[in-house]
Amino acid sequence: MTSARRYFTDYLGMMLSLALLILIFSLGNKRFFSINTLLAISNQVPVLAVMVVGMTFVLVIGGIDLSVGSVMALCGSVLGTALTGWHWPLAPALVLALVSGLAFGAINGALAVFARVPSFIVTLGTMEIARGFAYLVTDSRTKYIGNAIEALGPALSMGISLGGVSTVVSVVLGQIGLSRTVFGRYAVGIGTSEETMRISGIDTRSTKIAVFAISGFLAAWASILYCARLEAADPNAGAGLELQVIAAAVIGGASPLGGHGSVVKSFLGVLILAVLNYGLAQIGASEPTKRIIIGAAIIASVALDLYRNRPAGHPRIDF
Amino acid sequence: MNTRKIAYFLLREAGIGVALVALCTVFAFAAPRFASPINFTNIMTQISINTAIAVGMTFVILLGGIDLSVGSVLALASIAAGLVITSKALDTRAAIVLAIAASVGVGMVCGLFNGAVTERWKIHSFIVTLGMMNIARGAALQVSNSRTIFNFPEAFNAFGTLTIIGVPIIFVIALCLILVGNFFLRRTVFGRMIYAIGNNEESVRLSGHNTSIYKLAAYVICGGTVGIAAIMYMLRLNISSPILGVGFELNAIAAVVIGGTSMSGGKGSLTGTFLGACIMGVLNNGLLLIGLGDFARQIVTGAVIILAVILDVYRNRLSRRLSSTMGA
Amino acid sequence: MALGKFLRSLLLVAVLLAPVSRLSALPERRRPVIALIMKSLANEFFLTMEEGAKEHQARNAARYELITRGIKDEGDVEQQIRIVEQMIAIRVDAIVLAPADSEALVPICRAAAGAHILVVNIDNRLDASALAEKGLRVPYSGPNNVEGAREVGDYLAARLEPGDKVAIVEGVPTAQNSKDRTRGFSEAMETAGMRIVDVVSGYWEMESANAAAITIMSEFPDIKAILCGNDNMALGVVAAINAAGRSGRILVTGFDDISAATKLLKQDKLLVTADQHGDRIAVAGIETALAILGGSPPADRETSIDLVTK
Repeated sequence: MTSARRYFTDYLGMMLSLALLILIFSLGNKRFFSINTLLAISNQVPVLAVMVVGMTFVLVIGGIDLSVGSVMALCGSVLGTALTGWHWPLAPALVLALVSGLAFGAINGALAVFARVPSFIVTLGTMEIARGFAYLVTDSRTKYIGNAIEALGPALSMGISLGGVSTVVSVVLGQIGLSRTVFGRYAVGIGTSEETMRISGIDTRSTKIAVFAISGFLAAWASILYCARLEAADPNAGAGLELQVIAAAVIGGASPLGGHGSVVKSFLGVLILAVLNYGLAQIGASEPTKRIIIGAAIIASVALDLYRNRPAGHPRIDF
Repeated sequence: MNTRKIAYFLLREAGIGVALVALCTVFAFAAPRFASPINFTNIMTQISINTAIAVGMTFVILLGGIDLSVGSVLALASIAAGLVITSKALDTRAAIVLAIAASVGVGMVCGLFNGAVTERWKIHSFIVTLGMMNIARGAALQVSNSRTIFNFPEAFNAFGTLTIIGVPIIFVIALCLILVGNFFLRRTVFGRMIYAIGNNEESVRLSGHNTSIYKLAAYVICGGTVGIAAIMYMLRLNISSPILGVGFELNAIAAVVIGGTSMSGGKGSLTGTFLGACIMGVLNNGLLLIGLGDFARQIVTGAVIILAVILDVYRNRLSRRLSSTMGA
Repeated sequence: MALGKFLRSLLLVAVLLAPVSRLSALPERRRPVIALIMKSLANEFFLTMEEGAKEHQARNAARYELITRGIKDEGDVEQQIRIVEQMIAIRVDAIVLAPADSEALVPICRAAAGAHILVVNIDNRLDASALAEKGLRVPYSGPNNVEGAREVGDYLAARLEPGDKVAIVEGVPTAQNSKDRTRGFSEAMETAGMRIVDVVSGYWEMESANAAAITIMSEFPDIKAILCGNDNMALGVVAAINAAGRSGRILVTGFDDISAATKLLKQDKLLVTADQHGDRIAVAGIETALAILGGSPPADRETSIDLVTK
């Protein structure tokens, strides 16, 4: 098979599932297949999409980042405080938020690499730490930003929103980065067999730290989208979001064992989850039912994916 | 030979214990009433449930797996037990016994599901239990209609307040779980198989053993301990609620890892898990007593978790270096 | 074996530290100690409450001592129960509690009562049937949420025409104050002849309310107003209306009067909110506790709610 065809069949499964879901929900509620639905879903997607790009990289190297939700809240808090408390202009405030995310991610990576602590534990700890700092920075108050952030507003021009552009850019760059750059190849190599990489003389440490830094940076970017949409900074934002992001990446084929993952498929995973969420709410499913179905969907989609391409995975995990 | 063994032992086993004692000392001076008997009783009560869950979690992590669904399964099991124990159709004695059976049963069934799907379809336990986390939570909400269940029989509630030489009964239950679990891990073939599979599953399988059965058993055990933890919860608080247990999985995993069990499997002990749970309980209790602001408390908790594991990593490297120079 | 060693060392520690505990114990008390246990300190409302309580204590230092505690988010019921346990352990004289869950906190209140600690309920009412089952009588100090919500609704009604469509975005559906406010909103709207087309839960959160508002606007394009159970959710709703370009054409009301709301009011994006005077609620609870400790019979105390407009 040519590589183009392989790509197609790879994505085919997920696109089919997505189409099937949309079909089922449209039958259940006439108003599902409409512009309004698109609007509603496209509201929730950008934040998750941007974060899932980073999470895909992290999963590929065999790690995990539980802190993304809290980092999003932290960067949003930094942004909000800079705009409303210190009265910074918009551009420097945005830069500050992005740098905060990048730095936090780098710290995650450094702790995992140099202190040899499993990333599960590191990010479990930094999840709490980031949340604490978010409260500290905002003095535990929600900050209403309003006009200061309206420059980023919902529609840049021609109905294309910042969220939409961010999604496309991050997914495209992420996919290229993972599959076509040396960096991406190193990441996959580390996830598949770190020992081999190290013996070949490649410095795995800087790659790993960079991956976590990217994850933090993208969490910061997501926080900007979030604050722009809600026109406010909330230190409580993003609680539990990390599990949704991980779920989306996993539905997209990324494995916690490392070595496998595709940014585009993770993005499709985000879409599937968003459609599921919104569709279930539309047909009036109760909260409990939604949770059951989403849980089953996570398992089912991974089972399907593995069934189709059964690689020989190694049983050891090195979180 | 003996001194070598003691040094080795001190480093391996008592390392975390030293951290715990240090923490207690700090709090004794910093927090009012920390070192009082009633507060120790409090601490024992507060760590019991996490300890029980961590026992089961240890088995799963020793295999190199993970169970994220424990919090949700706890809620589901407690709802099942709550419904049975408040059922008008049963007399008190039967209701209590059946409720316990229901709770442990539900826990084990969920564990069975986790293990079966992980084994049969070779899906990583992270994903399966992530899915189960959602499924169990949804089921708990659905079955209970999002309402809390109370009105338990007086005998049940009274049992929860029992103390044996001042030690709360649920702590005693947790200790029993640790001791029984430890026996199984250290002194039975089953336990040795768990360690072996965690270390190198391929070679165990090649030796002709059916690794799947052992793995399945570990997940069922984990579910069972969650069922017991649910009963402990009901004893402590006299309610069953579908919204409880959120975040319990992270606490349990933290206790296990702080206690020295490696997430890649094959290494660890229940003693360590117990010490890990103690550290987390003491930390939470002490910080609350000091009255540290909420955000400061979160930052400190996060930092301590990371530090404890760093300590453990260095401890392991040190003891390995010692053992290699001593030609052990 | 290691376990035995650990238990032995723990025992040793406890024995050694027992005299130390005397050093760091609470000072001999002549004044009663009141513990104020709130919900999420990450919520501005409770910050105001804590500040008000501390100010009151500063002015009345001779009458009592104050301990304040909160939890990290609205849902952390476990932690709040643990805090109450701790307060029982250090033997405070009274607990003034804003429960995170109206039912789950009742058993621990019973334990407190059993330890002869007075419990006063503020902000969110404990569930009446749960209390009755435990045979507890807990005085409540706080605002009449139904009344306050009705006032908000009436203020809105004056700016609408009969027959206009409105929607309600409420808080966590199982919380008593959420139910009360929804009831107040509904009564006001029905009396004035509006049509309530939807009642959705925003779970007190900006994000959920934002999503809810989008759904409401797409299902009912001619909606004229959205009443929100708290200001946090109102923020989310306002953002959704802004994004849809319908700012000014859909009226939004809130509740709580958080600092972010002041800006919204000034910009005409929010019509009205209600100030529950969190500080007064805490003080009312504390005063009730002091009164009962001093011998008065337990009684409920109602605090005021004031509308806040531009």
